[in-house]
Amino acid sequence: MAIVGSRRPSPYGEAVAEQLGLELARAGVVVVSGLALGIDAAAHRGALNAGGVTVAVMGTGVDVIYPAAHGALAEAILAAGGALVSQFPDGTTPRRHNFPARNYTMAALADIVVVVEAAEGSGALITAEAALDLHKEVMAVPGSVFSPLSVGTHSLLRDGAGLVQNARDILAALRLGGEVLDDPLATPKHLGFKLPGERDGILSHLSDVLALNAAEIARKLQLPIAEVLGRLTALELDGAVRRHQGGYVRALRRGKERA
Amino acid sequence: MLVGLAATTVKEARERVRSAIRNSGLEFPTTRLTVNLAPAEMRKEGTALDLPMAVAIALARAGKAAPPRSAFLGELALDGSIRHVDGVLVAARGLWTLGYERVFVPAVDAPEAALVDGLEVIPCASLIAVVNHLLGVQPISPAARGDLDSAPPAAIDHDLAEVHGQEEAKRALEVAAAGGHHLLMSGPPGAGKTMLARCLPGILPPLELAEALEVAQVRSLLGELPREGPLDWARPFRAPHHGVSMAGLIGGGSGLAQPGEISRAHHGVLFLDELAEFQTPVLQALRQPLEAGRVGITRSGGSVTYPARFTLVAATNPCPCGWAGDGVRGCRCTPAAIDTYQRRLSGPLLDRIDLQVSVRRVHLEMLASEGRGEPSVSVRDRVVAARSRQHERQGCLNAQLKPARLRQLAGLAPEPRRALERWGAQRGITARGFHRAWRVARTSADLDGSEQIEEHHILEALGFRLQDVAA
Repeated sequence: MAIVGSRRPSPYGEAVAEQLGLELARAGVVVVSGLALGIDAAAHRGALNAGGVTVAVMGTGVDVIYPAAHGALAEAILAAGGALVSQFPDGTTPRRHNFPARNYTMAALADIVVVVEAAEGSGALITAEAALDLHKEVMAVPGSVFSPLSVGTHSLLRDGAGLVQNARDILAALRLGGEVLDDPLATPKHLGFKLPGERDGILSHLSDVLALNAAEIARKLQLPIAEVLGRLTALELDGAVRRHQGGYVRALRRGKERA
Repeated sequence: MLVGLAATTVKEARERVRSAIRNSGLEFPTTRLTVNLAPAEMRKEGTALDLPMAVAIALARAGKAAPPRSAFLGELALDGSIRHVDGVLVAARGLWTLGYERVFVPAVDAPEAALVDGLEVIPCASLIAVVNHLLGVQPISPAARGDLDSAPPAAIDHDLAEVHGQEEAKRALEVAAAGGHHLLMSGPPGAGKTMLARCLPGILPPLELAEALEVAQVRSLLGELPREGPLDWARPFRAPHHGVSMAGLIGGGSGLAQPGEISRAHHGVLFLDELAEFQTPVLQALRQPLEAGRVGITRSGGSVTYPARFTLVAATNPCPCGWAGDGVRGCRCTPAAIDTYQRRLSGPLLDRIDLQVSVRRVHLEMLASEGRGEPSVSVRDRVVAARSRQHERQGCLNAQLKPARLRQLAGLAPEPRRALERWGAQRGITARGFHRAWRVARTSADLDGSEQIEEHHILEALGFRLQDVAA
């Protein structure tokens, strides 16, 4: 099962990828991804959090970790019994033209390719196309119609990709559904996230995908900007909001079972 | 004969002085004549020494001594008329502090020298007029004292009321103005960063007399003072292009260093657009003046220290193409390119900027529908009130408070302290960053008219720390 997507996802996409990685690994599925920033790393991380096996298909030689910041992640993948896989000889440095070939390999290794967030022209869409060439199934996670990061996934859905609302959708497609029916996680209600409590009027005005800046929030709430800035920081300290792209988004909190 | 370490411009004075004396109808001695420039170990430069040399020769001829505690400045033309020299205001103030009571300056530069309170200024049109004055033949009346008190209310060139939306950035400007904090704006092209920066001088109080004199001194050195009304009460606004050289920004040049953009922005605003495009060494060189409020430069001609207490307003795009985070246009930069771009800005310079704010593009429909914002004049009233609170309490602006005085003057109650410490623990900020947020909170409280820093002041200050987010 491959999870792919944008290298610069929204907090929403990152949270979804991590959660899918976790639940699929827990169900015994091997999570394949590309060790890249963003969705890839989140999927690997999720699988590792479940103590699962995950495979990183690399666009460089297996001895060249790219991006370099993912050295620790690569170590963790190996330590958990996973694998770093590459079709390139040792010492191959990151080259732009190698990555589409890597994407093809990733699709070949997986039974299903799930695209979490992909803007138009994203590399994840190349993986999806490769999967179709190889007669593998492609599934996609929907997002906000306002988000540029969901344009690619929505066009996949329109073209017939399977809809992913939770890990169970994927497990069903893998014909593993029966085995997890008892799993209390496998109900849509338990996608795994809890919205932060509505103690504060600000939160109801924030989206989890599109960033709003303090000025926009202040205008909606008719509050002085200084006060809104202070309250946003308080929410940030509590982990209820995050900064994203020059504004603020609602942070998706992991459910209790993730603690 | 001319002795005493004279530069080329001074050596040339020999010809000018000789011609000027002859063409003024005075007699130039035919015997051997020695002019000694003392102290001899100091290199003399510039044409302002023409007049004193000519006067000395003429008076020696007449067998008279120059009046006591008097100084002469001016360049001679061959016909004996006296021409403008740069830096008269600086020289006049320096002479006044050295105990001189009277200066003879070129007539065109007299209004400049007359700004020095108490100094008698004799405007000199020609060499013969000066000699006649000194011999008591035809006295010159001193220049009228400069008009120092009539500070006209500085006109506001760019009004905040014309900026639509952008309340977050406007608030950051207000805090920057009130506490003397430096500001970084990050946002895509066309978001209005330049317009916002240009509004800052308008919400700062007009210059005070001492400040206006310092601003005029820098301009005097550069020969940029307007003849009529040399004193300008408006705060300087300097926006050097990102291609600016080290010498252009910090000061430099051959011989004795000339003031750079940071000194021209003294008591005003230095706006650096496209901060990441500036050469790294140039940005590094900003660090010392940012801390000290002045800059020391050493060149072959000697060392000088110029004032450079400015408010830095920097603007940057969030990524190389500029569109990261823009809702409408997508960014085409790779994450690695964005990382490299932002890393150019990080580190010590960013650590000295108290306020950071994201600026986003305002939608066109909002430009049309939104009412006018708060005018600069009313923002300035709050800024002035906040600044006078600071001056009463501590004699300087919050941005200049050293950590020890900050602890003593702006103690934190347990609740705000806890918020600050929680943030520090979560984001791993440096001690310097910790104190910066504290100072900004002090300013936020001053704008509120509150003697105590409350939790919400700290929280607002932390909201202006973007660089912690990545951590």
